[in-house]
Amino acid sequence: MIKVKNISKTYSGQVVLQLPDLEIPKAQRFGLVGNNGAGKTTLFSLILDLIEASSGEIAINEIDVKKSEDWKPLTAAFIDESYLIGYLTVEEYYYFLGNLRGVSKSEIDQWVQIFEPFFNGEILGQKKYLRDFSKGNQKKAGIVGTLIGKPELVVLDEPFANLDPTTQIRLKNLIREEAEKYGTTFLVSSHDLTHVTEVCNRIVLLEKGVIIKDIETTSETLKELESYFSN
Amino acid sequence: MNSFSVLDSLKFSKKKFFRAPQWELKLVVRILIGFLVLYFLAVFLFLGVGGYYILTKESPEKNPIFIINTLLGLYFFADLIVRYFFQSLPVTEVKPLLLLPIPKKEIIQIVLTRSLASFFNFIPIVVLLPFCIVFSVEKGFSFSVWTWFVAIICLSLSSNFWVYLINKSKQSAAVFFGTFVALYALEKFTPLSVLDLFAQGMNLIHEELYWVLIPLGLLYFSISISAKFLKKQLFLDKGLSKKREGVVGANLNFFDRWEGMGFLIKNDIRLIIRNIRARQVVLMGALFLFYGLFFFTQQQYLEQPTILVFSGLFITGGFMITFGQYVPAWDSEYYSFLMCQNVSYRKYLSSKLYLMMFSVLVCTIISFPYSFFGIDVMLIIWASGIFNFGFGSIITLYSGAFNSTPVKLNIKAKAFENTQNFSFVQMLFILPKLILPVLVFYLPYAFFGFNSGLAGLIFTGLLGLLFQKQLLNIIEKTYHKKKYQTLSSFNK
Repeated sequence: MIKVKNISKTYSGQVVLQLPDLEIPKAQRFGLVGNNGAGKTTLFSLILDLIEASSGEIAINEIDVKKSEDWKPLTAAFIDESYLIGYLTVEEYYYFLGNLRGVSKSEIDQWVQIFEPFFNGEILGQKKYLRDFSKGNQKKAGIVGTLIGKPELVVLDEPFANLDPTTQIRLKNLIREEAEKYGTTFLVSSHDLTHVTEVCNRIVLLEKGVIIKDIETTSETLKELESYFSN
Repeated sequence: MNSFSVLDSLKFSKKKFFRAPQWELKLVVRILIGFLVLYFLAVFLFLGVGGYYILTKESPEKNPIFIINTLLGLYFFADLIVRYFFQSLPVTEVKPLLLLPIPKKEIIQIVLTRSLASFFNFIPIVVLLPFCIVFSVEKGFSFSVWTWFVAIICLSLSSNFWVYLINKSKQSAAVFFGTFVALYALEKFTPLSVLDLFAQGMNLIHEELYWVLIPLGLLYFSISISAKFLKKQLFLDKGLSKKREGVVGANLNFFDRWEGMGFLIKNDIRLIIRNIRARQVVLMGALFLFYGLFFFTQQQYLEQPTILVFSGLFITGGFMITFGQYVPAWDSEYYSFLMCQNVSYRKYLSSKLYLMMFSVLVCTIISFPYSFFGIDVMLIIWASGIFNFGFGSIITLYSGAFNSTPVKLNIKAKAFENTQNFSFVQMLFILPKLILPVLVFYLPYAFFGFNSGLAGLIFTGLLGLLFQKQLLNIIEKTYHKKKYQTLSSFNK
């Protein structure tokens, strides 16, 4: 699904990301962990072609993200609240996304009902703008928004932060189900080691822009990560 | 308790300014604005000094103060309206102070004192101080001039606080609105003239000193009522909360019929009606519709069609220019989101272009009442409209690509803040937007007459339409080239 070839990103002489080859196969739930400044968001921004790489290239489904825009129909992302349009209601935002991804209004109205338990009655039919939602509810709305039109690749930055415990558990199930049912590839970054080991089947640990560990998740993974971070 | 003074609060504001992204650019803009303000101050100073001599020369038998008094009522009314649109209290900056050991009384004092540093509060001082000095020198010193001066300052400062109340409390807004309606009704439908009464009151203050107690009392009352109101507002769920608005413009399904493009235009219309900043800018654009009244009403201009072309361009292109210069900055708050969505630059740009072209069409239709000033005026407006429709719109779109200062959508712009996106490149674009149309009118007009001038405008507009595709290609390339740069400055 994603091929990273020898990519690096430098800001005024300082290397913030330096990856040799990295391949993420389809339907993988790929977890990215690391302390602040490890380069997680930088990697996501490079994949989404929001910043320019200093060297190397990234391809989604063999499409070089820098040269063509054809990866956009396959991809959805929620990085932070700036991925919402603050002056729309949730429904209007979803219809907008539906327009972009070829899903009709009535299909969305029907589809969105599946997420009622995830929304906990706080999102739909609120008659208020997204900018007036709480941080947690904005996040819920944004995450579900990425699933509209069944994209092949979903990028989520810190999806568990700001969510209440119930929603965190529901989100984990949601990600697993979507990946299983539709073969969606998930890229998830998180500071919460428990959540990320539970939901992802592969974990990459970044530190100062370099890959330290690249492991397939087993029952030992959490311990391994915890021991790394406690040093 | 340690005290936290106005000075400390100013220091914080200073840091906020110098540590903001792109503060160097902002500093340059501030300096330019500074010059503009200095210019205005100089004009007002001249008005103050010269005002005395002009008034005494025009009507030597009258006391100039009495003449000014007849205008004061209107001045205060206009002052209040302008302040309403451009002035806001620096309340949001007090949030971090609430948890520190600073008495609320002091916080309130800080907020109220700092609100005095508004441009509008300086106007009467700058105009009237020199006037009063000249008056005292020419007519001999007397207390009465100065009590009159104090009275006006008191009234002006009172309106400084009223505006805050009107902005924040619906009740006060209703009271003020009701009062205005009542006063207007009195002025219009009864022999009583409110403005005259006001003028006589001001005369009285000038003649008998102790009347000055009334404006002084009014100021005291305004301050204390604002302080009291503010004290109740210093909670997160009251004055410090963001105002939640009801949803407007939910039914714009009409646009869905236009497949592939309609939803983008629908979104832009929601952007305009649901965000304070956008509404402000678009309102300015709408005011340009009245631009013609300055020129068409004066015979000397009616005989110079080249000047009229200017008005034609502004009348038909007001919205186009004010809205268009902020494309793509309007979408700056969620630009990264747009950049990874399945929408091509081409589609995005076309939707903005069509919206601008549509606005030109609407403005041209609305301007029909100008036909009152004759067929020539109407022809000029129509020709300018065609120019803006075909050529102006696409040039405006192009100019936006060079504007990478983000726009905060739901925050009111302060006076002069609309100049924050000022840049040299934007200045250069005035050439094709305003100078070029005047040239394509003037050159054929000078050699072959009025109709050829019109043809010049229309022809250029049609050329723009004809080559729209090619021009859009160029703009699209520029956007591609500037993508990362734009993203990084929007995300600051």
